[in-house]
Order: sequence, then structure tokens, then C-alpha cells
Amino acid sequence: MSIGAIWDLIILSPMINGLIVLSHYLFDNLGLTIIALTIIIRGLMYPLSLRQMRSTRDMQALQPKLNELQKKYGKQKEKLAAEQQRLYKESGLNPLGCAVPMLIQLPIWIALFQSIVRVLATTPNQFLALSQHLYSSWSAVFSLVPLNSQFLWLDLAVPDKIFLLPLVVGGTMWVQQKMVLPTTGDPQQQARNQMMLWMMPIMFAILTLQFPSGLALYWIVSNIISIAMQYFVTGWGGLVKSPDTKKTTKTKKQKGSRPSAPAISPESAEAAETISVQKEGTDDYGKSGDKRQDSRRSSSTRSGTTGKKPRRSKGNHPKRR
Amino acid sequence: MRIRNISLTKTLLLLLVLLTLIPGTLGCLGTRTVPIGWSGGTIDDGNIFLGSMEGTLVGIDTSTHTRLWVDVTLDDDDQPIIYGSPATGNGLVYLASYTGKIFAVNPGSGVIRWVYPRTDALDPIVSAPVFHDGKVYFGCSDGKVYALDADTGDLAWEAQTGEQVWATPVIANDTLYIGSFDKKFYALNTSDGSTKWEPFQTEGAIISPAIIYNDTVYFGSFDRHIYALDATNGSLKWQSEVTADNWFWTSPVISNGNIYAGCLDGKIYILDVETGTEVIPAIDLESPVSSSPVLSDNTAFFASEDGKVYVIDTTTNESRLLNDLEEKINAALCADDEAVYVHTQTNESLFALNKQTGVVMWKLELSSK
Repeated sequence: MSIGAIWDLIILSPMINGLIVLSHYLFDNLGLTIIALTIIIRGLMYPLSLRQMRSTRDMQALQPKLNELQKKYGKQKEKLAAEQQRLYKESGLNPLGCAVPMLIQLPIWIALFQSIVRVLATTPNQFLALSQHLYSSWSAVFSLVPLNSQFLWLDLAVPDKIFLLPLVVGGTMWVQQKMVLPTTGDPQQQARNQMMLWMMPIMFAILTLQFPSGLALYWIVSNIISIAMQYFVTGWGGLVKSPDTKKTTKTKKQKGSRPSAPAISPESAEAAETISVQKEGTDDYGKSGDKRQDSRRSSSTRSGTTGKKPRRSKGNHPKRR
Repeated sequence: MRIRNISLTKTLLLLLVLLTLIPGTLGCLGTRTVPIGWSGGTIDDGNIFLGSMEGTLVGIDTSTHTRLWVDVTLDDDDQPIIYGSPATGNGLVYLASYTGKIFAVNPGSGVIRWVYPRTDALDPIVSAPVFHDGKVYFGCSDGKVYALDADTGDLAWEAQTGEQVWATPVIANDTLYIGSFDKKFYALNTSDGSTKWEPFQTEGAIISPAIIYNDTVYFGSFDRHIYALDATNGSLKWQSEVTADNWFWTSPVISNGNIYAGCLDGKIYILDVETGTEVIPAIDLESPVSSSPVLSDNTAFFASEDGKVYVIDTTTNESRLLNDLEEKINAALCADDEAVYVHTQTNESLFALNKQTGVVMWKLELSSK
């Protein structure tokens, strides 16, 4: 049996049939079904998503130290690797901590994406492809297809004709990216971040112009769920400038110096501040338990050193662990 | 400033690359929405006509197996996608396109006589056009059944159903029979499109073209049953006892008191035309049957999607493999006295198979690439 056949059998077909049956119980409304199934799947993936977000946050908090090591041992590859390993060990972080939960979730997201596209079949070739996924023992699925693709002003099988969805897809994705991406005083890093911040939303907005609006609906719901989850993990993150940041930035501007330390969250440590923090040594990252606590401790230490308030503003604190 | 410029350039470049790559990747993930078209052939006066996957009308002389003319480009602006077999009549060849147009072409010269609609386009047309008594009939994804004057392409009438109409109409006794996505089966007067009897409700969408035999109309439904209705009043004669494992997509054929219906579950169901009971257990071809079969003498020819062509002797119901073309087959089959013609989709070609031996008599590649 090929990998494709196994994929269809284990993941894709169950999701397609589930989606069709669910639509029957949701008033034959495909829009509601896509929203409900996206919430259900994201709900089931919640522990993994949460773990991934926390790992990402913690890794971003560690980034300044990694940058420092890079500067210090850039040409000594082996030494650099050893030092990085030591840092990871001391901080209790696994560099694959972000990737593994993501890799586990990825097939499910792809299957959800595929199943939505499949049930939105519009052409004869798509109908023939869909037919091969239907469970012969589930009578209802054969009669329910084609599903009613009308939802609000949308025909979910075709792109949104009034171009509202591309804006919403791009907007929600921008918000999500803004919450995740760290701010930095390093102009090059900042430029890269800005690129990331705008590139994905623009790209998905353009894709939304070409793809069925059912997919756009899925992206919007998925983005909103991600925003909510991100909020519970890191607060508003980069979306809201903390008073400290504003103050710091203002001060720096007044001084005419390079902006260095908005530092609104662990994932938004500034490069300039990084250097000063690194000079304090790696003890900020304790070997024990709660990394957020460790991170706070390091922030306090930094604050003490630099004369600033603690790094995290209220709005940027994790809401819960 | 320089950093900003570099960053902007990089952003634009990366955006461009991703916009190129991601749709391709999404295509690999099964999100391909592009219709491809798979017109069957129609034989008329020793010539076979079909729509190519490149949107052209192909005319082939079956005796010399050479093209009648350079393939006719039907539309320069919007390449037609042709699912239905062409129809012939009144000295013209008629094609329906998924791009929402009907074309009438002179088979002698390959010149387009008329296009309907003259401006703009209808919703996608999957149905094949049918010529009957000076009119051309077809179903459309806008839920309507259309009748056009075959000479001029002027609209004669249109009749509304509840959903898309992909089925090909069948005409008998001044009545047009056709199914719709709204799960209903319609009988319309060919003179004005008025409803002849109350549409018959099934439990699934109807794409399968119907067949008329002894004042009975037979068709398959997405609810996985074959139905037999009284053609005069629409009353149910029978619903097949057996429930298939997938949709009935293609037209059935009737021979020697049996109805032969291919199904997307890869089986051919053989039912008694009078009772709808299974005559013998379904023949398993192990690959979906999406191409309409053709009947010739006492032989029914079926093709499965995986490229195999089978014959069923309708006097004994014995089946055998005629040939394995190893190419995807979705298009309807057609046959003349000597050969059965198969339009394959993988490496778009037209095969002429000897009806008895299955040997490839000739093959013509249709793709210009």
C-alpha cells in the first residue's frame, strides 16, 4: 500500500466523511460545518499547540544568548555547538521543542485543509476524486453530496467576489504574526521580522483571491483560534507596545542613540540588550522547573543591571501556564 | 535606507517565489480545482468527432484514420473544456464547453457556424448536447435546461430545475428526460420546456444520463440505486433492490432484457429490466467506471478508469478483458461496425480497438504537445 493510500485511509477519508456527516447535523450548512470542524480539530490539537507556543516563547527568550554565543564562537564550529548544547541543557530547553508538536499537528492541518477542498468539489474530476473517499457503509454521505455551499453572502466553492475575505485572512494572519514575532533593536533582524510580518499575510490574502472561500473561512477561523491561544500563552505579545517599551524607545530617541530594548516579552528581546544580558552570564536560566519563572528572574536581573523596569509588561505576561 | 531597500527587494522576491511555489504545493495536496475535460467520440457518416483536452474539435476519418482538417480552435480567448460527447445533426457538429458556450461547427470545412451565447457565457456546461428534430438540447450548471435552434443557435426555450444540471438529456416521444443535482428527475415537453409530469424525487443527485426502453425511463442516482419510471406519467416502476457501493455516474445500456449499469464502485450491475432484481452478481472491474458504455449487437463495452476495456456478452452475461490500454479513461466509448473507440486521458490519444479481438487497429495521438 502506497503512502498516499495509507494517508487517505487513516487521515483524509475519515475527515472527509466526518465533515459531510457533521454538515447534516449542522442544518446542511457547510460554512458552520467548516467552522465547527476547525474548532474541534484545533481543540483536539490544543495540548500540542500550547506546548509548541510555549517552546517557541522560551526559545525566543533564549535567542539573545544564542546570538551572543554566535558572535563569540562564530568561527569555532565545534565550540559553538558545545556551548549551545550547554546553554540548552542549563536552560532546560530542547531545540526541537517547537518543531515536534508542529510536526505532529501538520498532517492533521493538511488533512483538514484537503478535506475541505475535497468536499467543495465543483468540477467533474473533483467529484470523481471525492467519490473514492466516501464510506460505502455510511448511506447518508452519498446522498448528502454535493453539499450546499451557500454561507452568508458566500459561495464557499468559489473565491469571495466582494474581496472581503482576503482582507480578513490577511488581517487575522498579520495580528497573529505580530503577536509572535519578537521586536528587536538590530536593524537587520528588525527588517527580517518586518518582512515576515507582512509577507505571509499578503501572500495568503492573494491566495484567498484564487481559492474557494471555504478555505478562506478555514484560514480565518484557524487564525482566530491561534490568536486566542497565543494570547493565553504570551498575552498580546508584539501587538501592543508596553509602557516600558514606549518609554524606552522615547528615551533612546531623545538621546539620539540606537533603540535597544523594548523587550516586551521573552520572544522580543532586543539584540542590544542581549549583549548586556549576556555579559551577566548564563545563570539567569536556572536548571530547574518553570522556565517562565526563570525568564522573569533573568528579566529582573537585567532590569537591575540596566536600571529598567522588569521586562514584561502586564499585557505581555502569559495569562496561564 | 540601504537596509530598507534590500529588505524590500528581498521581501518582494520571496513573496514572488512563495506565490509561485505555494499554489503548486497546494495542488500536490489535492487542491487542484482545474477542470480537465474528457469528451467521448461521436460517429457520423464514417467520421468520428470529439473534443480534445486542449479545447479543440477533432474530426477523424475512421477509414483512413487521418484528421479531416486541422483541429478546430473553438475559442481563442477562453480555452474550452469539453466533457460531453459532441452531437451531430442538421449538417453540423455541436459541442458544449465547461466555459459556458455551445459551438456549432460545419464538419465539411471545420468552420464555426454559430456560438451560443453570442456574447458572454453561461455557467459551466458538463452535459453533452443532444440534437433532435431541429433543436439542440443541453443542461447547464445554472440549473437550466436549454433548447436552441440548431440552424441559428437562437434560444428556443429554457426550463429551470432546482440545482445544477450535469446530466445529458435523452429525448423520446417529444419528451426530454433529464436529472438534476436537486435529486429530481424531470420530463419536459420538447416544444416549450414545460413540465410533462411532476418531477420524480430520489435521495441523491442525478448525473447519469437516462435511457428509454419500452416506454420506461431508466437512470442511476447518487443514492446508489437504479430507477425505472413510467415514461408517460413518471410513476415508479421499480427501484433496484441492490444498493451499490458508490454513485452511478454513467449511462446504463439495455440489451436482451437486462440493464447494464457501471458504477464508481468499480462494478457493473446487471438487473432485470422488468423487476430491477440482480440477474447475476455484479461484475467487479476493480476500478471506477466513469465512462459511459456502448452497446453493439449483443455486446456491451465498458471501460474502467485504470484503462481496461471489457466486453460483456449480453446473451450469456459472460465478461472478458478486451484490452488493457494502461491509460486513464473517463470519456464515453463509441463504436461502429468494426471498432470500439476509446479516448484516453493520460497521454491523450484515440484508440480504435477491434471489437472481437481487442487488438489496437490504430491509435492517434491527440495532444499537440
